[in-house]
Amino acid sequence: MKASKAIASFDSATGMLRALSRFLAGRDVPALGKLPAAFESPLSGLLGGLNRLPVAVRERAYAVSGWAEAIPQHRVGEVRSDALAEWVTGHYPRRRYPVIFIGSANGALVHLAAALDAAWLPQTLLLPVRRRGVAPDDPRGDLAAVGEAGRTLVASNPDLVLHHMHDPNQDRLMIAGMTYFRIKWHRLPAAYRRFIRDHLAPGGMLVGVDCTLRWPTTRIDDRYVFQFGALGDATPEEYRLGGPRVAGLLARYGSPVRRWDPPAADGDSPEAEWGTDPTLLDDIRAFAGPRGLDAQLLRFDTPQRLSPAVADLYRTWYADRGLPTGRLLVESFLLLEPWWALRTGSVPYWTVFGTQAFRAHLEAYLDASAPYDEIRILLFNHGTDSIGLAGAQDWRCTAARARKIGLLTGVDAAAYPRDFASFVRSHRALSKIRTRCPLPPSLDITSAAAALTGREEIVWRPMR
Amino acid sequence: MQRITVAVSGRPTVAWRIAGRRPPVVCVHGAGVSSREFRPFIEVLGRRHDAWTVDLPGFGASAGPGHPLGVRALADALVEWLAAVGLDDVVLLGGSFGCQVAVDAAVRHPGRIAGMVLVGPTVDPAARGFVRQMLRWIRNAPHESVSMAALNLADYRDAGGRRVLGAFTESLRDRIEDKLPHVLMPTLVVRGAQDRMVPQEWAEEVTRLLPAGRLAVVEDSGHMVPYRQAHALAGLVVDFLAHECAAAGAGGRAGPREQRSAR
Repeated sequence: MKASKAIASFDSATGMLRALSRFLAGRDVPALGKLPAAFESPLSGLLGGLNRLPVAVRERAYAVSGWAEAIPQHRVGEVRSDALAEWVTGHYPRRRYPVIFIGSANGALVHLAAALDAAWLPQTLLLPVRRRGVAPDDPRGDLAAVGEAGRTLVASNPDLVLHHMHDPNQDRLMIAGMTYFRIKWHRLPAAYRRFIRDHLAPGGMLVGVDCTLRWPTTRIDDRYVFQFGALGDATPEEYRLGGPRVAGLLARYGSPVRRWDPPAADGDSPEAEWGTDPTLLDDIRAFAGPRGLDAQLLRFDTPQRLSPAVADLYRTWYADRGLPTGRLLVESFLLLEPWWALRTGSVPYWTVFGTQAFRAHLEAYLDASAPYDEIRILLFNHGTDSIGLAGAQDWRCTAARARKIGLLTGVDAAAYPRDFASFVRSHRALSKIRTRCPLPPSLDITSAAAALTGREEIVWRPMR
Repeated sequence: MQRITVAVSGRPTVAWRIAGRRPPVVCVHGAGVSSREFRPFIEVLGRRHDAWTVDLPGFGASAGPGHPLGVRALADALVEWLAAVGLDDVVLLGGSFGCQVAVDAAVRHPGRIAGMVLVGPTVDPAARGFVRQMLRWIRNAPHESVSMAALNLADYRDAGGRRVLGAFTESLRDRIEDKLPHVLMPTLVVRGAQDRMVPQEWAEEVTRLLPAGRLAVVEDSGHMVPYRQAHALAGLVVDFLAHECAAAGAGGRAGPREQRSAR
């Protein structure tokens, strides 16, 4: 099976891979990097028209678009890890890179890599798999329906660990007709080894990206775990035990239950989407050592941790180049624009999702920073009134902290979080900003490493 | 609402006022039109503040010379009128071409002006041209209130074709972007979210060029925000007067404004 058919394109890792690889080829990210910019105008109009349809129709359309990306269960056994890794490395322009990051997906890391002219090879990818007849609020049913396909996948791919994920809170539309298989390499795949050998500049650096976030899981097989729930505002305890916010969500969506009944957790594992499986880091070390490569470790406890650090790094970088430092671009999940961030002289601050907790992180960053003249906020629309989601009005209040221009960019506030035209509109709106800056020469790795080393809760050190 | 007529350069100039709390807010109309479109707005704003709207010479009920006046002459007439009615430390609220008149007045006569509100500031330099502006005007039309058309027609009748055309020509000739960096008082820029005359990127550019500007976007409105969304605009203006104008009055005009807390 072709890797491009198996891998979800509407996922954090693939969205970030597209954004970074396009940036390194000197390109921006129209329509999430899926379509040429010429299609933006008609597509924006079409999707804007979709926003006028009833909520139930929009939700259905969103769910169907996800289902269309998923592969049938009987073809899961055809997925080959090598093909997936080759598909990843095939994104990048064929040239040398001074730094290659390997590991956890992270929007702030994409901007760090863009500044350094570095490539990033993800540890985790999402394989959406179709399944029928299981309600989103039935995690046991999901496991029973696709468990065999999961076993087949790991049996056919000895270098993969399967994190079967089921989140009826944030992914409830998508999981109506499919299941999330997140696969993690626990060994450096051959394509990654080749990429490093052919494309790491002499004297270049390998950086293992280690997000240490973990989540309760149920072990199904040797390399197969089931994760119920995921990083967001709801806690693992709320997912497992329920509570008023869970009951409220289930009532809002007309579910017959008021709490979930997932399989009992028997341990914890790296979080399916963001966490790094540390065995890969051991393999990077083992690969780098005999070849005399400089291998470093970038470690943080949760994906949001890197955002203020990278934002400050960009701000200092702009100041050093004599550029204004008063423009902030707040990005969301896979809505990333490294090219436009630099072209418009915007300091990038990536948020994991649009929830109150991540908004609070941004507020704390703004509290601790010199005021911004302009704050633009992109909001990823995931179609669901999930637990702790901050409304468009809340985000608008945060944007209003700008001294001059504070706004939501490309977002129809009335339609959020079901404004599917925003996937197209956010890029269009950014590309219309009139003040432009020349793209800079790459940032020096030592100054970036020094800036990150000085942050609490971020580790940058040689791999030992 | 009180009708006040005073002589400016020997000709009667007419304004409407609802008396209230300082600072006085003076609304300046757009090209070819008059204070008619602003009266519903000052009825709302007048509940909270001293609210005025004036007919520039040759428009609405105000007499003017036989020839159309340029931006500079209109700005001079406006400032002369402020002196005639005894207004100082005013906040000028321009609508469309009225922003160009207000900005010219603020740059050359800053002494009487404490703050500015620019609603739908024209003209976007990216579309400086009669045909392009006309196309934008046509695209904007569906986003305006139908009832405003009758007021526009009455205004065009009052002003006469020559003055209307003269005002449009003058709006294209005047380069507001050159003057904005010299507007030192706190300024609120307001744009209707569906305004096709003033695209978002131009409204942002206007705000960026102002040393002490801030942008607000009003939902469900085209170019004529004061007519279409009088209550929303009045809310923004009251907030602006309470926070930014008051802070600048206490701490000096051109000084950086204090960081405003999220609301």
